[in-house]
Amino acid sequence: MSFTSLSFLIFLGAVAAAYYLVPRRWQWGLLLLASYGFYCWGGGRTVAYLLFTTLTTYLAGLLLGKLNRRAKALPPEERKAGQARLRRGKRWAALGACLLNFGMLYLLKYWPFTAEVVESAAGISLYVPDLLMPVGVSYFIFQAVGYVIDCYRGKYEPERNVGKYALFLSFFPQVVQGPISRYDQLSPQLLGEHPLSWDNLKYGIQLAMWGYFKKLVIAERVGVMVNTVFASYWDYPGSILAAAVLGYSIQLYCDFSGGIDITRGAAQMLGIDLAENFRRPLFARSLTEFWRRWHITLGAWMRDYLFYPLALSKPFRRLGNFARRHFKGTVGKIFATSMATFVVYFVIGIWHGANFRYIAFGFYNGALITAGLLLEPFFVKLRQRLPIRWEGKGWHLVQMARTALIVFAGRYITRAPRLLAALYMLKETVVSFHPGRLLDGTLLTLGVTGFDYAVVVLGMAVVLGVEWYQERGGHARQWLERQNAFVQWLGIMVPLLAIILLGAVGQNYVGAEFIYAQF
Amino acid sequence: MEELLKLLNETCPGIDFAGSDALIDDGILDSLDIVTIVSALMDAYDVTISVDDLVPENFNSVGAMLSLIEGLQG
Repeated sequence: MSFTSLSFLIFLGAVAAAYYLVPRRWQWGLLLLASYGFYCWGGGRTVAYLLFTTLTTYLAGLLLGKLNRRAKALPPEERKAGQARLRRGKRWAALGACLLNFGMLYLLKYWPFTAEVVESAAGISLYVPDLLMPVGVSYFIFQAVGYVIDCYRGKYEPERNVGKYALFLSFFPQVVQGPISRYDQLSPQLLGEHPLSWDNLKYGIQLAMWGYFKKLVIAERVGVMVNTVFASYWDYPGSILAAAVLGYSIQLYCDFSGGIDITRGAAQMLGIDLAENFRRPLFARSLTEFWRRWHITLGAWMRDYLFYPLALSKPFRRLGNFARRHFKGTVGKIFATSMATFVVYFVIGIWHGANFRYIAFGFYNGALITAGLLLEPFFVKLRQRLPIRWEGKGWHLVQMARTALIVFAGRYITRAPRLLAALYMLKETVVSFHPGRLLDGTLLTLGVTGFDYAVVVLGMAVVLGVEWYQERGGHARQWLERQNAFVQWLGIMVPLLAIILLGAVGQNYVGAEFIYAQF
Repeated sequence: MEELLKLLNETCPGIDFAGSDALIDDGILDSLDIVTIVSALMDAYDVTISVDDLVPENFNSVGAMLSLIEGLQG
């Protein structure tokens, strides 16, 4: 059931109505029922994968909690030896759960690619089972593994009720494309009792409408042009290819952030505040900052469960000591950390999927960010010598444009059908741009009209305007609240009419899936 | 305290460690700074700081970092 389908709106309305009508102590049970109903409706038998992850990580959590309690209860004279023994047990429990679930993810998502590479490189044919990809598998596995590691670290007591834990992993607004939530932030909200709050309903509906506006009015519209160009990219000059990649950048942002707005809006209607996943990434002044603003919960997951353990691991500490002895100054100090950073961005790249394009995408981001870190001392010296106001607004704009350009170049890699196609398109953009083709009517032959372009440009102007206001500390929905009744009415009706009149809805519309739902 | 402040200023120059008690909450230190600081602290004070210790309250101020080190030294 796609978020953009009428059936989802009816489902959400029915769940919200029932949620506030049933006795409050039944609310979480209703959410669990609705979440599994939602998952089975869209994913059918693939619910078995969700159940597998739920049960394995639930049991691992219980075992880790038990071992943590035993370690705390040890008498002082046995503490050292006992804790070492229990720590080994904890490691096996956590490792077992992680391997089972990441193994399943590997089998589903990466094994076909591995088999393809092995066959083309060594001529050995490997068996690839014909498995259906479960919806949101990367999201619920990462969320479950985060829970296991937190239990291993003793951050909180594990959940004893399997139903309550199952709800944490399956909560229907977020199971398709995240955000990747933390147990200690989400579970108390899911299990809490929520009286009907008009503010929550109103703000939730407004946020979801904003998401639908981005998805249906902008992303779906510009996506037609993007698909046309990428389907026969060899027919177009560099300028049209660049326009298509720009279109894809807009599509991806409005699709993913719009989807997350719908998710957070639907959750807010139920009184649940999900983690923020975007913080106006178009305003980022560096690639590192961009990744702190884009898909925030994945970045935070990688930081807490991959970057910190990796950077503080013995091999990386040894590498750090080696670097400090052999390289002078800042480079020596941050060399090992930079390498850990590279690994993290590389993993973020391949998290998106198994093919050479995502490997290249990970390498691209990792290499640029690592180079930036290692070259920072050089940039500091350069900045001291050049007579530029480094804190002025002009330089901030240059930094934002530079970041946008780097991200833009990366989009060639992720959208092109193959890695070689991406390199070909990048080359064409540089050596055979032909700017005149942007004005000779070619853009109007790509499945969209001049009116569609106008809607996309105007829509993006509205999105950027709102984000600029938020960037300055404003809260758009609270601003609307302070206006008179007429303006408030306009604030609801204008986006609603835009979605109905300009959105990709209607009899012939087939609700397109969200791009990030496939990851 | 003075010794620790000197080490922090050498490790991450340009950050006003003494003037803030919300170094993490205000986004003054990022994850990269934390790992660089943790590595420097482990070397200088011969303590083992684990991933579990990497919580904002241990790194929000110089005083918090000092308490963490003293706690680990037992």
